[in-house]
Amino acid sequence: MELDANAFARNSRKALSDKALQEALGRTTGRFMLHRAAAVAAFPGFEEARERASAIKMDVLAHLDAYLGRFVEEAEKRGVVVHVARNAAQAREIAARIARDEGVTLAVKSKSMAAEEISFNEALEGAGVTVVESDLGEFIIQLAGEAPSHIIAPAVHKTREEVSLLFERHLGEPRTDSIPELVGMARRHLRAKFLSAGMGVSGANFLVADTGSLVLVTNEGNGRMGAVLPRVHLAVVGIEKVIPRMADLPTFLRLLPRSASGQAISSYVSIVTGTKRAGDPEGPERMHILLLDCGRSAILEGKYREILKCIRCGACLNACPVYQSVGGHAYGWVYSGPIGAVLTPLLVGLPGAAPLPDASTLCGACAEVCPVKIPLPDFLLELRSDARDQGLKTPGEIAGMKGYAGVMKRAGLLEAIERIAGVLGQFFTKGKAIGGMPYPFSGWTERRDFPVPAAQPFRKQWKIRRGVTR
Amino acid sequence: MNEREALFRRLAAASGGHAAGPGEPLPGGAPAAPAGDSVARFADAFTAAGGVLLRGPVEAALSDLGEMLRAEGVTALFFPEDDAEARETVESLVPFGPFLLTTAAAVREGSAAVTAGFRTAEAGIAETGTIVETSAGGKTLLPGLLADVHVSIVPVSSVVDRMEEALSALAADAPRNISFLTGPSKTADIEQTLTVGAHGPKKAIVLLLA
Amino acid sequence: MPYTTGMDPERSVPVSLFFTCLADAFSPGVCHAAVEVLERFGATVRVPLSQTCCGQPAFNSGNRKEARAMARKFLGSFPDDGYIVTPSGSCAAMVKHGYPVLFRDEPRTLARAREVGERIHELSQFLVDVLGVTDPGSDFSGRVTYHDSCHLRRGLGVVEAPRKLLRAIPGVEFVEMEESDRCCGFGGVFSVKHPQISCRMTERKVERILATGAGTVTSGDLGCLLSIQGMISRYGYPVKAIHLAEILAGKPKGN
Repeated sequence: MELDANAFARNSRKALSDKALQEALGRTTGRFMLHRAAAVAAFPGFEEARERASAIKMDVLAHLDAYLGRFVEEAEKRGVVVHVARNAAQAREIAARIARDEGVTLAVKSKSMAAEEISFNEALEGAGVTVVESDLGEFIIQLAGEAPSHIIAPAVHKTREEVSLLFERHLGEPRTDSIPELVGMARRHLRAKFLSAGMGVSGANFLVADTGSLVLVTNEGNGRMGAVLPRVHLAVVGIEKVIPRMADLPTFLRLLPRSASGQAISSYVSIVTGTKRAGDPEGPERMHILLLDCGRSAILEGKYREILKCIRCGACLNACPVYQSVGGHAYGWVYSGPIGAVLTPLLVGLPGAAPLPDASTLCGACAEVCPVKIPLPDFLLELRSDARDQGLKTPGEIAGMKGYAGVMKRAGLLEAIERIAGVLGQFFTKGKAIGGMPYPFSGWTERRDFPVPAAQPFRKQWKIRRGVTR
Repeated sequence: MNEREALFRRLAAASGGHAAGPGEPLPGGAPAAPAGDSVARFADAFTAAGGVLLRGPVEAALSDLGEMLRAEGVTALFFPEDDAEARETVESLVPFGPFLLTTAAAVREGSAAVTAGFRTAEAGIAETGTIVETSAGGKTLLPGLLADVHVSIVPVSSVVDRMEEALSALAADAPRNISFLTGPSKTADIEQTLTVGAHGPKKAIVLLLA
Repeated sequence: MPYTTGMDPERSVPVSLFFTCLADAFSPGVCHAAVEVLERFGATVRVPLSQTCCGQPAFNSGNRKEARAMARKFLGSFPDDGYIVTPSGSCAAMVKHGYPVLFRDEPRTLARAREVGERIHELSQFLVDVLGVTDPGSDFSGRVTYHDSCHLRRGLGVVEAPRKLLRAIPGVEFVEMEESDRCCGFGGVFSVKHPQISCRMTERKVERILATGAGTVTSGDLGCLLSIQGMISRYGYPVKAIHLAEILAGKPKGN
């Protein structure tokens, strides 16, 4: 996916004035939050599962070479071909080569953020392969030629009217305002694709090291179809998705659906281990797993390691009041919301996504809901500090901060400035609030007043009242 | 050095030449199973997930099941050739039709009929109301995958409390495919409106047999 | 008026007031109110006059060099013992959680920061958890709703103390707003860098406040109230944003 994260300010303004998007965001995030809260309240073991999942992931990250090595070994024993890509360009090359070597012309894909990272569809289309998105939301936005706007609900910004128009134009279906009918149309169309495609493409929610298994969690059932029906199965997966043991899987399955959609479990969990075996009536004859580094090993090495615990549930997006206000596209890349504000700069480099860490009030709602306890606000703060170190802050901000810190060095100087501001402020506003401030504070007062400084600051008043002479 | 070796070298360096090996499995993990009958909890959870539960014996459930399938517009039934329980259920259901018999292979070819796929499940999980179906021993997954309505035959003796029990029975030599099925196929991708039958069955029915 | 406190009235509790730069400049009434309430429950209040700003705006914007300078100044401004109390959840959280980050590579300052962090309390938390106050003895009256400031609630884990105090005021009819724990959009530097998003969030907060029909909205952080009152004032909504300290003191002050 093309990177446009540096345009966050412009994109977010556009989003704020998009009425349909605002309506969709309000509806979606609110509902997700309510469902999540209800699911968590109904499951007393949630906190314990969070602690446990976090600890398991920390162990994995501390020994990722060992766990990933075990996974590769076990998967290969069962007929899987494992590929490794250092960066997106390499990954695209490998994916295209796999499709060509397997003689594939049609691929059916289920949702994969990792595949989005490497612009997978373009790579395969370049190799002459038609890629059809099978997740309903992804299918809709593929028809619309757009990018997903939410990890879990990629088409939250589309209304049923827009969907019906797309189905009319691209599938030749009659117009309808019935959502079940629209779902039925997509089902028929995509079923034909599943039955004829040479390759199923998926991501993976988890890789299980001790069995070499790949775990797919969906509600629609598209992931498992792509893993059972086509002759070839290709999974594009980030290296951090590994968990040590099959026995650890239930802990994560208790957290992921509850955090994502508020379900105790998703409709379908498929644990896929290797290729079709002797006597199996179905299953892929060939299975490829494409492991992506794409910046992850560098993250593993540094202070942001814990971000690799993420299980892509989307709970932090739904909880984030900034995401709720501007939606996913404003973040300008694959990942949005708090996870995007941290992960994007780490994967693509801070200069390519400099505004994202600032896109948060540090309210902490994200950390509160994160099922694997990633300290997202701490990481946002850390990235803001990195931005200063990497020379990415404006000279104006640095000068302002230096001036402000200079004033704060001496209480006497601060008091003098406060008193001058107090006198001037009271004189010019007659004690009323300030309705317009100069740049860079002009935005503040666009729809809000700013208070006038007190005629005398507290410290002066205190000295007078308590007879402090100094 | 190929890319794979390079990756593992980077990972080893990144984790800082760890002194200790990978951690031992943490103790515990599964939440305590609540008191009470696990079969009843399975039934409640499955129903809560949008499934429809019928209790055996088969003869007693046939009329309800037939009516349900007709209401969904089902015209053809299929089952795995080697699944005696499913075969018996389907054959005794035919008089409650009109239902034709078809095969998984025909459905896979893209038959236009509205189908119900029958299969005996390996296990039921009380914690989540989940049905476990696997490819162990060459069993087919198509009845739960391709059918418009999936009828899962769940022996009460196969119901376990939690996911851990279901998986530990399978993990030693994991079959190629372990599927957890919980209720019908769902989507809320259009206007957050929950709709069934996105790709998989529109209706999930469990026939619970003593 | 008989006040209820779990403390021995004979023993005075030494408290240094961390009045915050924001209240100093814009709302001296909040600082006076905090002193009044603390003294009401037997605290001996000192006001270290060399204090300035804890450095949070610099820290939150990633300008750690400047933040460290201010943090050092802060640490030197307060005595080596006794409680430090502040009418701001955000500033208390900065000292408690931000300073250890700022000084993670300076063991001696880190130790001092931790020690000071142990002694720092937000006002309502101090009243309820340390002084054992159950009735603040306020004559404030009216229908009041409470906004959880993010740093007080999620940063310090203070949820119940302000509510307990508000409920105990005889003249106050306490009403919860929807989404009381949702960020008001202020976010310090955020409100300057992303004013439109900030306004959208404040707007939603003000909608929730108005829906309660309360005449007063209160909170433990002046920053939130700045944004909330700013929008109330611009549109002339029939509600007033007043800091918790002033409600506890009992006489609303204008400045």
